[in-house]
Amino acid sequence: MNMKRRPKLRPAAWDGAVVGLVLALAVGCGVLLRGNGGSGEMAVVSINGEEVDRFSLAESAGKREYLANGYVLVVAVSSEGVRVAEAGCPTQDCVHTGVISRSGQSIVCLPGRFILRLAGGTERGNGPDVDAVIG
Amino acid sequence: MRTKKLTACGLLTAVALALSYLENFFPLALAIPIPGIKLGLANIVTVFALYAMGAGPAFLVLAARCLLGAVFAGNMNALLFSLLGGFSAMLVMTALSRLRGLSLYGVSIGGAAAHSCGQIAAALLTLGSTAPMYYLPVLLAVSLFTGSLTGLVSACLFRGLVHVDLWKG
Repeated sequence: MNMKRRPKLRPAAWDGAVVGLVLALAVGCGVLLRGNGGSGEMAVVSINGEEVDRFSLAESAGKREYLANGYVLVVAVSSEGVRVAEAGCPTQDCVHTGVISRSGQSIVCLPGRFILRLAGGTERGNGPDVDAVIG
Repeated sequence: MRTKKLTACGLLTAVALALSYLENFFPLALAIPIPGIKLGLANIVTVFALYAMGAGPAFLVLAARCLLGAVFAGNMNALLFSLLGGFSAMLVMTALSRLRGLSLYGVSIGGAAAHSCGQIAAALLTLGSTAPMYYLPVLLAVSLFTGSLTGLVSACLFRGLVHVDLWKG
């Protein structure tokens, strides 16, 4: 069996161009997508791409439960922000994400197709929203 | 020759599936809590197949790995993620491997970054929301490290094979 192509085995100068391109893409996306930096006052919960709940953090201290595609997720709201305290899903990524408090931040549970996203206080339910449902 | 190639494809698929399973023992998601973050060890097999056998067989090995992986995990939702991630990586690496200036490291890093983009695309389709986009910058930055790692392992693999019949033909 012949090799189709003989690869270069030592890092080459042009590899730097790939690294630079990936870094530029990462920084570019980061700048474009960064939250507005303000404190997140409204939490928006979507399951299967549909908004199912929207609550103000200041007025909702305590725990809330959601059923997302067979998985129970317990969302805890405190003065620090909001987090997923317990989840019945196998991956637990949403629990490990920890507390979020800034506008634009989100917690995603892929198995449950559950998204908890924080929005600034000025955002209204039917206003233009970058996270509009697309599918 | 055909039988040899077919056998090699089957073996490489088995190795890729084993590496995907092995990855579960290095839970990168504990350090960086992002859904779907992983080392991408199975990408080593794609890199190897691409250079040793060409794009066609590499494509077949990847398709078989994605399908069987989803069947074994009993999670057909994961199929879209592995297909979009795997094929994005495959396409980018096929293109990059034709550039003479790039080494295995550049090709692997490009593949890892493309894999991240493909998985985010799958998350966008699955969740119907742009929220997963916020993970892209971190995933891309992490792909610099995971891509370098798979590049290093692939380079060691090819170095080890210099004295093997496979290398001389």
